[in-house]
This record gives sequence, C-alpha cells and structure tokens, in this order.
Amino acid sequence: MPEDIQPIIRFEKVAKTFPPDIAVLEDVNLTILPGEFLSIVGSSGAGKSTLLKLIYAEEDATSGEVYFDERPLSHINRKHLPFFRRQIGTVFQDFKLLPQRTAFENVAYALEVDGKSTAEINEEVPEILEIVGLGDKMHKFPKQLSGGEQQRVSLARALIHRPKVIIADEPTGNLDPVSANEIIQLLLEINSFGTTVLLATHNKGIVDTLGKRVVVISQGKIVHDQNKGKYILN
Amino acid sequence: MQTLKLWRTFKEGKENFRRNGWLTFATVSILTLSLFIVSLSFLLGLTTHLILENLRDKVSVSVSFNPDVTEGRIFEIRDELSKYKKEIASVDYISRDDALKQFLAESGNDPVIAKAIEEIGENPLLASLVIKAVTPEDYPLIVEQIEGSTFQNDISRINYAKNKKIFERLDYINKTTEKTGIALGTIFIFIAILITFNTIRITIYSHRQEFEIMRLVGASNIYVRMPFVFEGALYGLVAAVVTAISLFGIAYYIAPLTQGALPQGNFMNLYIAYFWPVFGGLILLGITLGVLSSAIAIRRYLKV
Repeated sequence: MPEDIQPIIRFEKVAKTFPPDIAVLEDVNLTILPGEFLSIVGSSGAGKSTLLKLIYAEEDATSGEVYFDERPLSHINRKHLPFFRRQIGTVFQDFKLLPQRTAFENVAYALEVDGKSTAEINEEVPEILEIVGLGDKMHKFPKQLSGGEQQRVSLARALIHRPKVIIADEPTGNLDPVSANEIIQLLLEINSFGTTVLLATHNKGIVDTLGKRVVVISQGKIVHDQNKGKYILN
Repeated sequence: MQTLKLWRTFKEGKENFRRNGWLTFATVSILTLSLFIVSLSFLLGLTTHLILENLRDKVSVSVSFNPDVTEGRIFEIRDELSKYKKEIASVDYISRDDALKQFLAESGNDPVIAKAIEEIGENPLLASLVIKAVTPEDYPLIVEQIEGSTFQNDISRINYAKNKKIFERLDYINKTTEKTGIALGTIFIFIAILITFNTIRITIYSHRQEFEIMRLVGASNIYVRMPFVFEGALYGLVAAVVTAISLFGIAYYIAPLTQGALPQGNFMNLYIAYFWPVFGGLILLGITLGVLSSAIAIRRYLKV
C-alpha cells in the first residue's frame, strides 16, 4: 500500500462494548484507502455490522477512534450528523425503502432533505435510476418491485449524493443468485469510478470471485486481512 | 433553501393528515367539540352580558303621584331630586296627559281601549317622575331615600321591585354561564390535547422504521419532526373551520329566541358581528392545541 495516500477510513485500536459488558469489537486496527473495494466477512454476530455502524456513526466506539477523511468521528456534533451521513451511501439487506413512496420519491427524498431544488431533483433522480437499470420502473412502489429491483432503488438512493464511500451491509442477503450478482456488478462499476465500497457479506461465492481485499472478522477481532483475498472462516 | 425545506415538511405533514384517515377524523372531531364548547360558552356569555347591558339602560324607577298633587309640587320634588347628581342621572316628568298618550301608543292605538277610557270620563293615569340612576346598583338606595323623604305622602307608588327581580336573575345567569363555560372548556381542551397527543403518538409508532431510514439518508432531526408539527396545526385549523360553520347552525336555532333582546338584533346577527374575532380566536386556539399536543408527543416518542 502506498504510504503517501491519505486513508478515507481508519480504525485505531477500536473497541465496542454493549451494556452490560458484551464485547462486540476488540482492538480493531484497519486502514481503508480511497477507491478500495473491501469485503468484510465473518459469521453472524462476528461484529461486521457493528464495524460498519461505527463508520456511519450510528454507534460510537467505546474506546479508540474511527477517522473519516482523517477526521475523528467522536468529534462530530450530533447536530451535524445528517450532513456527515450525506457523504456515505448505505445499502442494507432489508433495503430500507419508505413503503409509501415510489422508487423516484425514495431517491428524491435523499435530495429533498438536502434542500435541493425540485428542478435538480427532477433531473438527477431519473439519471441515477437509469444507471441502476430502473428507468422504466421509477413510479412503482417498493411492493410492486422485486427484491433485486428494490435493492437497486436503495443503491440509487445511496449514490445520489455522489458519496465518497458506499457501505453495503449484506446487500445480497435477501436476493436470488442472479439479482445478487447484478447488485455486485453494480457495486464494482461504482467502485471503478473511484468510490470506495465496503461490502459485508456471508456469500463465499461472491467474495471469492471478486479478487479484491478481504478482511475476516471473528469474535470481534480482525483475523485476516488480505489483498485479493478469499473467504476464509476458521 | 430553508423555505423549500419548510414547504416540503409541510407537504409531508399534509400527506400524513390525509393518509391517517380514521385517526384524523377522530382527532379533528374531538378538537372541534372542544373548540365548539369553548366558543359557544363565550358567545352565550357575551349574549347574556349584552342583554344585561341592554336592560340596564332600560331600567328606571318610576314614581307616580297621587291625583291631588299639583304639577308645581312635582316640579319642586323633581328639582330636589336633580341635586343628587352623583347618584341620579336624570329625572323626567311625565304629565297625566303624556302618560295617557304613551299608554295609547303602546297599546297600538286600539280604538276599544280609547273608547273605554272615554267612557271613564277622566284620565285614569297618574303623573310620574322617571328616575334613571348613574349606576344600577344605586336604585335600592334611591328608592329607600324617596320612601323616607318629606314628600312620601304625595306618592302613589314606586315601581321598582318588578325590575329588580329580572335584573338579579339575569346577573345570576350571566355568572353561571361564565363559570360553566370555563369549567367545560377546560375539561374539553384537556381531553383534546390528550387525544391529539395520542394520534400523533400512534402515527409516530407506525412510522418508526421510516424515521431510521430518513436519518440514514441524511435527514436532520428537525426535518423528521416538522411534518408532525404541521400535522398538528392542520388538525387545529380544520377543527376551527368546522367549529365556525357549526356555530352558524346553532346561531340559526338560537336567533328567534334572542330576537330583540340584543343591541345587534338577535344571536345570529351577534355572531356575524363578532365573526372575525371569533374565527381568528378559534384558529389561534385550534392551531395552538394541535401544535402543543404534537410537540409533547414528538418530545416523548420521537427519539431522533
């Protein structure tokens, strides 16, 4: 890894304990560079989701520090959290779409909260939905879409702010293999434009074919960290 | 940009209002009922107050003199009474002829009555002094003074007792309406706050997951909260309009009962005369109640 590039995300001796004394993460040191595609693997409850939540500041580290763009997250005022979050796009296993809004409106919402004008929204949203291949279904409601399509809406929403980082927590967990593969291909495409992608997954097949950096977490600790890694579970 | 965001959260609140259907109906109903009771007791209070004022102006003491008392003597008494300027506002002399003319006019110049009086051969009415007090509370004192005066033997009768009873009864009604109105209004406002509060709370519960999503895509707390404030305000606004319309219905039924008793004519005219202040007050009170209840619900249940 070249030394002179400033990491986009850095964990420094991070520990996370949930009350009363459940240690979820212990002594995590991890450096992620801009433009990386990083897979985080591990069994359920290993701490993958918690690690990701620390990045988008849904959880605070019990000790140690997480840096985003070399800014310590513990210093972010809760009031400024929404602004910080707009730099990170998130995608989840359960899609997290607003059920009473169409695909278009779901994506638009992320821009509305930012105070973007209606004209901008009407221009940018169809564009991004076109990119994820939903140009013809943007006025459908989530329940009228397949799982794969819903996840693509969610991905479009994550991308709309042109974030530096995309965090995908088990994005293929609820999808059939074909849809899952489409989502992974989209993530790779996004990554190829320079966006950092963090992918937490159980799917061995996906990780092994990616040929990208793999971090393995077991019982709250990073046990493997390999470039062009494979899915290894002890 | 802030206005745009505000407009968007308003639209969101409007959508919640529309989508909640049954809950919206229940909340608006109870808010309407509360506003209705508050405003109706205010209007009824105003009505009795105005009727009372109106009657106070009409109240006077009429002192009738025995037929053998001369006009000169009555003038003397009038001049004597006029000296008490602090208590007595005016003393008017009504001669026997004037009294007869007035009587005939009040009976609608009925030829039968006129003929009956003619048959008697002489004017049966008495000359009198009509006394108006500066404040109605002074009447008992004035009457007492006249009864104990040197000219008490010249007096045939003093008609005050009859007026007094009506006067006291109206005062009592006025005070009772006021008290009942305040008590009922307070109870219903309290119920309205509880119900609006619960409606917003239920909405918050049923949309729990959405708040998490909204925050994840970068919505600020205030952006998530504002729609509920607007939703509350809309409950109040709609309730105020419904109340104002229902009051027209009530006024329509009360109007004939109050015909002539009010300076405005009747209750309907009174409501029309006071419509804008009442409507403004209703909107203000309604929105305050709605927003207040949502604010409490947001604080307690929307941990964002």
